[in-house]
Amino acid sequence: MRFTIFQESRKGAREVNQDRIAYTYSRETLLLVIADGMGGHVGGEIAAQIAVRLFIERFQQEAKPVLRNPLKFMQETMLRAHAALGSYANQFSMLETPRTTCVAVIVQGGHAYWSHVGDSRFYLLRQGKLIATTKDHSKVQYLVDQGLITPEEVVMHPDRNKIFSCLGGMADPVIDLSRRTPILNGDLLILCTDGLWSVCPVREMAAILTSTPILTTAPQMMRDAEARSGPEGDNLSAVIVRWGSETLADEPTTTDNLELGQFATQVDATVTLAERSGDKRDLTDDEIERAIAEIQATIQKYRK
Amino acid sequence: MPANNQALPGGYALLNYRIDRQISRGGFSIVYRAFDETGQPVAIKEYLPSSLVLRTEGDIVRASSAENLTSFRYGMKCFFEEGRALAKINHPNVVRVLNFFRANETVYMVMRYERGRTLQQQIQMRQDQMSERFVRHVFMQLLNGLREVHTHKILHLDIKPANIYLRTDGSPVLLDFGAARQTLTTNRPKLAPMYTPGFAAPEQYRDHDRLGPWTDVYGTGASMFACLAAFAPQAADARLQEDHLVSAKKIWSGQYSDNLLEVIDWCLRLDPLERPQSVFALQRAIRDIAPVKRKLTFFGNLKRVLFSEIGV
Repeated sequence: MRFTIFQESRKGAREVNQDRIAYTYSRETLLLVIADGMGGHVGGEIAAQIAVRLFIERFQQEAKPVLRNPLKFMQETMLRAHAALGSYANQFSMLETPRTTCVAVIVQGGHAYWSHVGDSRFYLLRQGKLIATTKDHSKVQYLVDQGLITPEEVVMHPDRNKIFSCLGGMADPVIDLSRRTPILNGDLLILCTDGLWSVCPVREMAAILTSTPILTTAPQMMRDAEARSGPEGDNLSAVIVRWGSETLADEPTTTDNLELGQFATQVDATVTLAERSGDKRDLTDDEIERAIAEIQATIQKYRK
Repeated sequence: MPANNQALPGGYALLNYRIDRQISRGGFSIVYRAFDETGQPVAIKEYLPSSLVLRTEGDIVRASSAENLTSFRYGMKCFFEEGRALAKINHPNVVRVLNFFRANETVYMVMRYERGRTLQQQIQMRQDQMSERFVRHVFMQLLNGLREVHTHKILHLDIKPANIYLRTDGSPVLLDFGAARQTLTTNRPKLAPMYTPGFAAPEQYRDHDRLGPWTDVYGTGASMFACLAAFAPQAADARLQEDHLVSAKKIWSGQYSDNLLEVIDWCLRLDPLERPQSVFALQRAIRDIAPVKRKLTFFGNLKRVLFSEIGV
């Protein structure tokens, strides 16, 4: 497998970044995942974190080096994440279950498979054309389907943030699964949260990224999108893959090259295949969350 | 020269707490008084290493450069060590951690708010000398707390009067585990040491392999010395070059019991092996100190006799 990967999460105008992004791969299989946590202060972040982590952990257990059934893997992981959020809320006596959207893509054996819950999206672009995408589980998408509003009106609609399916919600999530879709060298695979797609339409992404080195143009695209989103702007995140060889890329061999999205303060959040985690690696967001959860659990345990 | 980081303003809502005012500020953190949703006061410590991060306005903490972001995250580990260390300890003489959370791109530790002042302030305020009774009372209780800390395989490593808080009822609370390390375990974190001259033991300057309960014993001895002298003993690194420290026994002979002075001198030995090897050993030595003979009034004496007869 040869591919070039870019991932970045920017905070926009929000106080916290509740988006989590990650990718991991074995010799034969690549997983990309984005979750956009929703609601209250810490809850959203935790939900997105749990969903992304569960995907990564299960992938590393099961992709040896290929997944037997990628679609089943994604469906099961989504359901497990949903259940995990419920038990997390129980364990910490939270009033409300942390909730998140989630979109995941698997590339294996020259085919792509994807699954999503909520309004985080996947776009598959070939030669500048959108050849496949996800359909949001949102009220506005329903209105579009009914012909009541146009797709262009979605981003301005007052109910644009209302989604009817998420992980951690009261009802069981609606999980969409794709077909097995062949991909070709040069194809662009883009996962993004609503913070990005609402200010940067897919046509524009295609125009910016199609015939340029993505490691150069994607960061600029993210910065521009953040600037455009203004003082009310949401967190914006993307994982972008150009399939085939572009400018770099070693043959990936292991799964230990996992990086989780960093907060928006870091401009250069680009992760390339060349990057290896060394000994003096700083704390990842994942480790920070784990440390905090551990300390909170200890405080609870020794409370009396 | 790093710019001064702005403290969170009074009235600021942080998670479910409301900031009241800044209590203190150090190189690595700011401590605030705040109120929880029930109106209870708490102390909140904000991780904010002034050399690495900037907050000139608003609430979000940003690293002042890309390399600093790495160091900032790395230093966060120390803050977590402190949280981990304290979370396990529920003892009246050790500060209690109530919550730990992440916000504004940094981390916060919520502690029980205590009323009173530090032993350092107490030393500076006093005109006359501290009584032996007071010193022994404070340190016996404090050592109970420290013993609990050591039981959890944690060393405090920064025992000094500024980190000993005296509640209004006179009971001490051990504060600030910012230097604490789980050094009694096998995987020893390799972090830059923190120490306070005068109170840090010689092994904190160079032989990190030799840190142990006796290291906190040195800090305790130095703190007792400071109670008597109103200044810190000579710094241990300087003592290793040329030891000018005059023994407590020589300075205060006759004013305090020989045994108390001997214990202080014992704690301040340069060789870690020559000091009390555990808090328990130190406590036993302090207990053995015969109280100074005080002139007893007739009624005082009577009370004493009566109490001893009824077994109080």
